[in-house]
Amino acid sequence: MMPAGELGPGVTLEDEVWALLEDALVVYRDSPRAVAWLRGHQARFGEPVRVAVAGAPRSGKSTVVSALIGEEFAPTGATTWYQDGPQAKAHVGQYEVPVLRRDGKAFVDAPDAERVTVEWPSRSLRDLTLIDTPAGAPVEHVYGEADAVLYLTRHLHTTDVRFLQTAHDHPVARIAPVNTVLVLSRADEIGGGRIDALSSAKQIARRYRREATVTPLCQNVVAVAGLLAVAARTVRAEEFTALAALASLARTELDGHLLSADRFVGEDFPVRLDPAVRRGLVDRFGIFGVRLTTTLIRQGFDTQVKLTGQLVQRSGLGELRDSIGVYFTERREVLKARAALLGLDVVLRAEPRPGSVGLAASVERILASAHDFRELRLLAALQGGRTRLPGDLEAEASRLVGGLGTNPVVRLGMEYEPTESELRHAVLDALGRWREHAVDPALDHGQRRAAAVVVRSCEGMLAQVVA
Amino acid sequence: MSAPWLDVLDDTIRACAAHNRPDLAERLRDKRARQLDPKLRVLVIGEPKQGKSQLVNAMVNAPVCAVGDDVTTTVPTFVQHAETPSAALVRGASIANTPTERIPVPLDQLASEVSASRHHGGDVVRAEVGIPRALLDSGLVLIDTPGVGDLRPAHTASTFTALLQADAVLMVSDATAELTGSELELLKQVMTSCPNVIVVLTKIDIAAQWRRVVERNRAHLARAGVTAKLIPVSAALRLRAAKTGDKALNAESGFPELLACVRQDIVAAADQLARRTVAVTAASAIKQLVAPVREELSARVAQGPEKTIAALNEAQRRIDELRRRSARWQTVLADEMADLVSDIEYDLRDRTRKIMREVDKTFETADPALGWDKFEAWLEDNLTEAATTNFAWLLDRSEWVAEKVAKSFPVARDDLLPESIFRDDVLDRVAPMDKPVIEKFGVMQKAFTGLKGSYGGVLMFGLATSLAGMPLINAISLGAGALFGGKSIIDESDQRLRRRQAAAKAAAARHVDDFFIKFSKDCRDAARHIQRSLRNHFATLAEEMQETLLESARSARRAVQDDNTERERRNRDAKRELDDLVQLYQRVQSLAGGQAPPLGISA
Repeated sequence: MMPAGELGPGVTLEDEVWALLEDALVVYRDSPRAVAWLRGHQARFGEPVRVAVAGAPRSGKSTVVSALIGEEFAPTGATTWYQDGPQAKAHVGQYEVPVLRRDGKAFVDAPDAERVTVEWPSRSLRDLTLIDTPAGAPVEHVYGEADAVLYLTRHLHTTDVRFLQTAHDHPVARIAPVNTVLVLSRADEIGGGRIDALSSAKQIARRYRREATVTPLCQNVVAVAGLLAVAARTVRAEEFTALAALASLARTELDGHLLSADRFVGEDFPVRLDPAVRRGLVDRFGIFGVRLTTTLIRQGFDTQVKLTGQLVQRSGLGELRDSIGVYFTERREVLKARAALLGLDVVLRAEPRPGSVGLAASVERILASAHDFRELRLLAALQGGRTRLPGDLEAEASRLVGGLGTNPVVRLGMEYEPTESELRHAVLDALGRWREHAVDPALDHGQRRAAAVVVRSCEGMLAQVVA
Repeated sequence: MSAPWLDVLDDTIRACAAHNRPDLAERLRDKRARQLDPKLRVLVIGEPKQGKSQLVNAMVNAPVCAVGDDVTTTVPTFVQHAETPSAALVRGASIANTPTERIPVPLDQLASEVSASRHHGGDVVRAEVGIPRALLDSGLVLIDTPGVGDLRPAHTASTFTALLQADAVLMVSDATAELTGSELELLKQVMTSCPNVIVVLTKIDIAAQWRRVVERNRAHLARAGVTAKLIPVSAALRLRAAKTGDKALNAESGFPELLACVRQDIVAAADQLARRTVAVTAASAIKQLVAPVREELSARVAQGPEKTIAALNEAQRRIDELRRRSARWQTVLADEMADLVSDIEYDLRDRTRKIMREVDKTFETADPALGWDKFEAWLEDNLTEAATTNFAWLLDRSEWVAEKVAKSFPVARDDLLPESIFRDDVLDRVAPMDKPVIEKFGVMQKAFTGLKGSYGGVLMFGLATSLAGMPLINAISLGAGALFGGKSIIDESDQRLRRRQAAAKAAAARHVDDFFIKFSKDCRDAARHIQRSLRNHFATLAEEMQETLLESARSARRAVQDDNTERERRNRDAKRELDDLVQLYQRVQSLAGGQAPPLGISA
C-alpha cells in the first residue's frame, strides 16, 4: 500500500533531490550565477550537517562550540565555521591565516573578517560542521546557512522566544520544520554555583520541555555547563595535579576558600599553590568547577581519565552530543535535502524561465510527498499541539516517526538490543495497530492522517528490517 | 506649610486635567498620595534569575523571599518593619488597589503558599512580610518583584505596576555577564518613572572576572546616560557571614556599602528623594502634555490657511468662468435665432412657390368655374401642410438652439432647458381665400354672341352671292352666318375661360401671398418670442448661478478671514499653554536641582 505521490521503491529522497538539482543545472546552464549557486548546493549536499550555534551575547556560544570540538577556541567576533580537516588551518575568504595560540587557547587573528573558516582535525567534526554566529546575527542569516540550529540561552527570556518564533514563522519553516535544540548554557551558574547546580539545571530543562511556549519552538532542551565541558575535554596534567592537591585538603578547611572567586585566589592559601595557577583554575573551571572537581576527586574519581568522564557526563555535554546525534546527524539526509530544495527554490524565484515551472512543481511535490518531510511535519505538529492523539498514542506516534531518534530500535521504544525476529515482530505489531488507527472512525480526519504517516514509517522500518 | 514639591505636583495635576489627560492626572495623584505616605518603597527589579530575592534576603538577613533555581518569585513581595515576624498573602484586583483580603500565613510557609495559591487559580496579587529590622525601622519597604522578561507576561506586568509605586529602585544584574541591551532598556524605562536607582551587581562570589564586569557596566551606564551608583555584592557571602558572624566576610560581601548607600541615599534623603521622584514624574507628564500642543502649533504653521484660500480661489475662478460663458451664450442665442428665422422664411417661400407653380399648371388647362371648391380645399390643405411642416421645423430648430445655448452654459443642470417657449396662440388662421369672380356665360349671352358673329357671315356671304344674283339672304349666306355665329360663340367662351383662369390664378396668388406674408410674420413673431423667452430663461439661470457663486466666494473670503483670526487666537492659546507648561517645567527643574533633563523647547 503506497499513498499516491510517494517516491518510487528504491528511490531515496537523496537521489530524487540530486536528480532535481541536475535538471535545474540543465535548465539554467546559461546563467553563471544560478549555476554557481546550484553547484554550491550540490557540494553542500555531500558535506556534513551544518549546525549553527546562536544565542544572545554572553550566552556561551564559543564555549559550547569549543566543548563540542574538544579544543578551546577564542571567539573571533565573526561568523566562524569549524570543519574537519587534516591539519589546523584557517581561511578568511581565499586567504589562509595562521591559527595562533594565546593563553592556551586556539586563536585566529582576523579582526575585520566577516567570516572565518577554521579547519581542525577533530573526530567530533567528522559528521558535523559547526557555525559560531556572532551575537545579534539576524534570523535569516543564521537559518539560511545552517541545516540545524543550537540555540543558547542562560535563562529563557522573551527576546529568545521572539527570535525562535521568527525563525519558525518563515514560510519555508512551515513546510519543512527547522531543527532546533535549545541549550540552557552556563548551567553551572544556577543557584549561585551550588554543588548540585547541574541537576537543578537539568530539572529546569525538563520543565522547559513541557512549557507550552517552548515546545513548538525546539525539538529538545538540554542544560549544559559550557565552561566545565570545555575544561573536561581539555584538562591538562598540571591542572589535574593542582586540583588533586586541593582535594587533599580537609573539606572544612577548603570550603572557606571556595566561598568566592576572590577568596580562592587570595593570600594565605593553605596549600602551596601559586596564585597564578589558582587564577588559571578559576578562569578555566569557574568557582563551581573547582568545587565540583575537588568533590569528585574526593569521591574517588581520582585519575584524570575518570575525572574527565565524570565531568563530560555531569556538564551535560554528553546529553548535548546525543541530542545533536538524534536530531541532526541522524537526519542528515532529510536536512540536506531540505537545504537543497530551499536553495533551488531561491533560484526558481530569482530567475524564472520556461523550464522552471516544472522544476518548481517538482520541488513542491517532493516537499509535500516525501515521507521524511511528512515525518518532520507530523513531529512538529505533535510537538506544537496542532495534532493531538488520545492517550499514549501521541507519545508512541512521536517516537515511531523518529522523535527520539531514527534508529528502528529507538523508534520502537525497545530498551534492549533485540534479535532480528523480535524486531520484526515489534514492527509488525506496531504496523497492525496503527493501520487500525488509520481507519479508526473514532478519530477525526487529521488524526487518521497522522496515523497514516505513522503506518508509512512502520512500513519503512519493516523494509529496513527485512533487508 | 506644604512642601514646595507638593505645590508643583498639584499644579502639574491641574495642568493634566486641563489638557484632558485624566490618566496622567490619576497617575500623579497616586504618586502624590504615596509621597505623603511616610513609607519609602524600594523596588528590587531585574531580569529573571539575577538574584533579586536573595538580595532582599541578604539585606534583612533572613530568608523572607523564596529563592530557587528556576523561576520562583511570581508575585511582588513587600518586606517591611514589624515588631514580630509575620507574613500574609493579599488578594485583590491589582496590587495598586486596596486589598480585598489578607490571609495571614506562617512566615516559613510563605513561598509554598504563594505557589499553592497560584496553582489553585488564586488571585494573590502580593505577599507581605513583616520583620523586626533596624533597616526597615524608618518606614523602608523592600519590594521583591518577579523577573522582567519572563515567559509569563503576568509576572512582568505586576512588576511594572509595582514600579509605579516605587520611591527608589534597586536594579539587579548578576556579575557573570555585563548588562545586556534589554537590561539597559529596562533601566531607562525605570528611570522615567523613578529616578532613584542603584544598580546592584550580584553573585560576585562566583564570577572570577567581576571587576571587569563592573568596569564595563559603568561604561555601559555612562553610554546610556544613566547616572546611577553601581554596587557589587554577594548575597551568598553575606548570608554565610551572618551565620558564622564573620565580620570580614560581611565586609567582603559588599552589603555594608549597599546598606549604607540605601540609608544615606534613600532613607536619609527622603525629602530630596521625594523632590527627585516628583520632579521626574511631573517632568515626564509635562513632556507628554507638551508634545501634542507643540505638534498642534507646528501643524498649524505647516498646514496654514491654504485650504480656505484654495476654496476662495476656486469660487472666484468659477465666477469668472460664468461671466465669460454668459457673454458667449448670448451671442450663440442671437446668431442661432437669426439663422433660424432666415432658414424658416426661405423654407416657407420655397414651399409656397411650389404650391403656386402647381396652381399655375392646374389653371393652364382646368376651368376654375368647374372645380373651384375642390381647388380651394386642395390649396387650403397644401398651405396648411406647408405651414405645419414649416412651423414644426421652427419648433425643432428652436429646441435645438435652446440645447446649444444650454451647452455653452458653464454648469449642467436638469432645469437648464425651458419647459415651453411658445404661446398657445402662435398661429392665427389666415383669412379664407376670396373666390375669383366668374362671369356667367348664359344661353342668352351665347345666342347674342352667336347672332353677333353670324351677322358678319351672313352679310359677307350675302354680298358675295348677291353678285351672283342671289338674294342677300340665301342658303349659303345663312349657312355661313351659322358657321360664323358658332365660331364666335366658341371664341367668346374660350376667351371667357382664359379670363376666368387668369382671375383664378390671380386670386390664388393673392391668397398664397397673403398666407405667406401673414404666416411669415407669425413665424418671425414666434421666433422672436422664442428668442426672448430663451434669453429670459437663460439670463435668469445665469443670474441665479452667479448669485450662488458670488455667495460661495463671499463665504470663502469670510472663511479665510475667520480662519486667520481663529488661527491666531488658537495659536495664542497654544503658545500661552506652552508657556505655562514651560514655566511649570522650570519649576520642576529647580525642584530637582537641575536633575531633570531640559525640555528642549523655547517658548
